[in-house]
Amino acid sequence: MSSTMAPSGLSRARRGLAPGGSGAGSPKPGGPANRKSKLSAQTSRTFFWLLLPSVVLLVLIHGYPLIHAGVQATHDGSLIQTGNFVGGENFATVLSSPAFWKAAQFTLWFTIVGVFGSWLVGLGLALLLRTKIPAGATFKVLLLLPWVVPIVVSSTAWNWLVATPDSLVPSLFRNLGLGTPLFLADPNLAAITVMVFKVWVSFPFMMMMISAALASVDTTVYEAASMDGATRFQQFTQITLPLIARSTYISWILMTIFCVNDFPTIYLLTGGGPVSATTSLVVLAYRTVFQDFATGPGVAIAFLMTMTLVVISVLLYRQIRKSSVE
Amino acid sequence: MTTTRTTFSRRGFLGLTAAAASVPLLAACGGGSASQSGGSAGGTIKFWDMPWATPALNEASKKLTEGFSGANSKASYQIIQWNNFYQTFSSAIASKTGPAVSTGGGFQAFQFEQQGQIAYADNLIETLKKNGMYDDFLPGVVEPFKTDKGYVAVPWHLSMRVMWYRKSLFEQAGVDVPKDWATLLEAGKALKKIGAVGFATGAGAGNNIGNQAMIMMMINNGGGVFTKDGELDVLNDRNVEATEFLLELVSNGIIDPAAVSYTSANLDAQWKDKKAAFGAHVSQMDTRVGDTSGDLLVASPIAGPHGDKGGLVFPNNIMMYTNTPSQEASEAFLVYYLGQLKELWKQKLMNALPVFKSIAELPEFASDPNNVKIVKEWQPIAKTLAAQGDKLNANLAVLDGGQALNEFTQTVLTGKTDAKSALQAFESGLKTVLNK
Repeated sequence: MSSTMAPSGLSRARRGLAPGGSGAGSPKPGGPANRKSKLSAQTSRTFFWLLLPSVVLLVLIHGYPLIHAGVQATHDGSLIQTGNFVGGENFATVLSSPAFWKAAQFTLWFTIVGVFGSWLVGLGLALLLRTKIPAGATFKVLLLLPWVVPIVVSSTAWNWLVATPDSLVPSLFRNLGLGTPLFLADPNLAAITVMVFKVWVSFPFMMMMISAALASVDTTVYEAASMDGATRFQQFTQITLPLIARSTYISWILMTIFCVNDFPTIYLLTGGGPVSATTSLVVLAYRTVFQDFATGPGVAIAFLMTMTLVVISVLLYRQIRKSSVE
Repeated sequence: MTTTRTTFSRRGFLGLTAAAASVPLLAACGGGSASQSGGSAGGTIKFWDMPWATPALNEASKKLTEGFSGANSKASYQIIQWNNFYQTFSSAIASKTGPAVSTGGGFQAFQFEQQGQIAYADNLIETLKKNGMYDDFLPGVVEPFKTDKGYVAVPWHLSMRVMWYRKSLFEQAGVDVPKDWATLLEAGKALKKIGAVGFATGAGAGNNIGNQAMIMMMINNGGGVFTKDGELDVLNDRNVEATEFLLELVSNGIIDPAAVSYTSANLDAQWKDKKAAFGAHVSQMDTRVGDTSGDLLVASPIAGPHGDKGGLVFPNNIMMYTNTPSQEASEAFLVYYLGQLKELWKQKLMNALPVFKSIAELPEFASDPNNVKIVKEWQPIAKTLAAQGDKLNANLAVLDGGQALNEFTQTVLTGKTDAKSALQAFESGLKTVLNK
């Protein structure tokens, strides 16, 4: 009997009907269901009115600048005057510029190294801090410092460490017989230095995200895996990584956005140089608008960046949903 | 037991929220132009000033500004930071909340003039002629601001780039201070042997000294980025020669190989730490780096291979805007402020050259031999970024802080180029952004 009753009960439950309630026909006027729907409509209206101010503000804060930027990207004006409509000319100018593609290439590398570099360091430290080490909490706080310290301060500190041949790090290299590397003056070394700086600034964020995810993992799973003969590596790849996958994808999305939009890390340390070696798209957009006073092309660069970010975010978000379903 | 409860209905909450949300909207719609904040008939003249030196200068300028009372007006003072200053001005002007009078970027007046935001200073110039202040200007400092339509601004100080040297390093190296390019090269080689830098410069984040040194050397050789008519002329022979010389300094290690990444702080540290022996810098660099012992001195202008001499000058100016409570009040304020400038030099707050002869003669200014040398030897031969021409214009703003010049400078300082290739790239970079 129960086997025949169960589907019916589930079906009723899905329709929100209590056991014994009438499931046939429409609810009677003035009955409990009608009152519920009336309440529900009232609640919806309340939510609508409660949300409206926020929505209006959001539209004003995000919508207006977006529309205004769209206008600027399709005109040849300045920051004050709209200028003449030029259609897609600014986009064509930007896309045919070698400087744009050089900046796009740097942005890509900067983002890849920034995201995965900081993730790897953050993951390593999160795993380390999960084990019982002396003064673990203190270490955690100290490790947060690169993220907490204002970027102006940390970039000044890094400049002091590497800028001149007599700075601390080049002096160290010299004393070790490794020559005197010009960390910010050599285009290749400058690019590497900026990326390392980004990883240094960002790993605490990753560490905290992963630490939070690891805290929610049931340790008995590892005990069970050990009993089944799984090695530490197998436990890491088969248990830890899948269980923190959701947080990992979210942190990747966020860090990708942080990296692509990162202006101060690059600009304060190198200004985009030497010889544009560390000019990312956001730095190029800034320099185009505020140093070359070419508003249309500069905003067009920003638009292209936004579109790329939206695509990347959507792809990664799909991955999150996929990992949630699994 | 009676409890008093404050009832807060949903509707009340919504009303409050809507009211709160409307505040910024109303504020945004309100505008608030320069003309609206006045307490008197002429309104308040909003004067925006930049941090030209230490905060003490701005404090003094604020006092001067607030001391204005004329044309039924008073004046208010606001400091605008250099970071993103063009954006700050543009946004304010676009929303009609900008200043009535301001200092600012060297070519800002020309940029805003193109956009119809500048009030011409012709009447003001006439007033200055009548009250005798015009005759007090140093020769040739006002005319660069004259356009076909009128004067876009009036000068208030000259930001000079001159050659400095550290006397003790030259003594230690046993060489004389360079008098021309040949002796600069020889001195640089000798200085290198004692670990000193024979041509100190920097082109790192936010440091324009390197860019300015490049242009200065072109001017020093009788060159410049523009023709006398204002047309682009980057690839002229004199510029090529100057760039070749700079590349020679790089290849000989006379220019620090790390200079390309030196910020202003890095470069100043080189001067302070007795590493830099010779190079272009701002006037009163000794004060700036904190060494007024007399070891840091302004060098005499050096001669190029063809005998030319030249320095670089930025005539910083004060401009008036069309958005003002009263043009008459703007002009009255500016006449008043120019007349009060003397106080800033008297208090030794300004680290630049004055534009008035009477200020240049002040004992507080003239007691510094470096200042005297700059006024006597550098100011008469100094040219603007418009060289070989002399008419200032909006395009110079693009040259001054733009990517093309910075890219050129950094390419030269890395030494991985030849003069013509670097100049060609410079020219094509400028062509893409200069107003046609």
